[in-house]
Amino acid sequence: MPLHTLQLTDFAWLVLLIIIIIYMIYDLYSRRPKRSITYTRETLVCTKCGLNVERDFEPGDFIGLVKGKCPSCGGNLKIKAIYSIEKTKK
Amino acid sequence: MDVSTIIQLIWILLFILLITGLNQRIQLKLWVFDIRTKLNTIRSLLEEDKAKTRGMLRNLGVEVPEAIIERVIEFFTIEPVEIEPVDIIKRMDHLLRTTEASVRKIVSSHLPSLGRHELSLIESSLSIVAALNIVYKVIRHYLLTGERENNFILIMQLEYLMPQVMRIAYTYHEALDSFMYGKPVGDGAGALVVYNLIERSEVKSRRVVDDTSVVEAYYKGRRLILVKAEGPGSNVGHPGAVISRIVEDLKGSINLIITIDASLKLEGEETGSISEGVGAAIGDPGPEKIAIERAATKYNIPLRALVVKMDLKEAITTMKKEIVEACERASILIERMIEELTPPNATIVIAGIGNTMGIPG
Repeated sequence: MPLHTLQLTDFAWLVLLIIIIIYMIYDLYSRRPKRSITYTRETLVCTKCGLNVERDFEPGDFIGLVKGKCPSCGGNLKIKAIYSIEKTKK
Repeated sequence: MDVSTIIQLIWILLFILLITGLNQRIQLKLWVFDIRTKLNTIRSLLEEDKAKTRGMLRNLGVEVPEAIIERVIEFFTIEPVEIEPVDIIKRMDHLLRTTEASVRKIVSSHLPSLGRHELSLIESSLSIVAALNIVYKVIRHYLLTGERENNFILIMQLEYLMPQVMRIAYTYHEALDSFMYGKPVGDGAGALVVYNLIERSEVKSRRVVDDTSVVEAYYKGRRLILVKAEGPGSNVGHPGAVISRIVEDLKGSINLIITIDASLKLEGEETGSISEGVGAAIGDPGPEKIAIERAATKYNIPLRALVVKMDLKEAITTMKKEIVEACERASILIERMIEELTPPNATIVIAGIGNTMGIPG
């Protein structure tokens, strides 16, 4: 039987093989963990008026550290929380 | 040659491969290739982390940082003899404390002018590199053994373990940044809850015992003894030994002991979910946990536990916002537990377990 007279069963085998290969490649890539970028932020609270200010973390910072003055009342700004925020790459 | 003949030949080839076992050889080679690729990734992560640590030590004035890095990351502790259980906790505690002191001595001998806070960050950063180094060396060992002995089963197990191993390797790699800059990590949830309680209570006295901070405070007529590792350096303290000492000093006149710790969540559980229960919530190798259990049992003191759930990555990398919020909720829950479980004038020991990096007190 020449190539141009491909039988239905042969064609079905070929299609099945292609589907399996495509599925395996898809499965391999879909299981890869998504890469993400994390940023470290900190929340500062004014000890006088209670104003919340959010800033980027700077080396040497720790919770409870008094850092700067309140833009609203001039009171002390104290670090209340340091945390990471995740942004997933597409 | 037509298509049917080609397909028939393919089937015959597959049959030959199956009966001669050659298919397994091909599979083995494919797995070895995949594991080696992943192992090279782990090695590049390790080299990157070593370079970061080298840079940090050079900035602090160490001329040959390689010497200190290699010495600390190859440091080991031999487990105590287990077939003789008598005094095993004492022996284990001794070995753990000796390890801690020895690593500290190695680091401080190279950096004599550095403060405790900075030294603790360097020690922890080196521990992270050491952990990644162990992962790399163990995987390399099994890969080479499996390859040399053509051990299909060993290589297969390794291949199926690799995704988990890679996740752990990436976790350690990401954790290094938090430890180098002293950012609070998820494991510090217990310490953060106790810090929040200290901030809200009427503090009477503060002292540091055995790298552990002990704060005496009052809350709604109850005497609180708040225990956490001394911060804000990278430190887990010795909460078990300190609680045991407090209980003995007060001759057991304590109404309640509460321990708060970060706990590894099961897949599907939400990060930052809180659970309460009974027992000592502490994940040390044994000495600290048993000290709390023994002290509570000796004087029949109720031992309650509270855990904040997270996965391994969240536990050793910078604290996520969900965990910070969970700690706030946990502090409120502790206050409710105090009011529900103890009468006014009661004495309560509350211990925040975990690494207190970035959390003072």
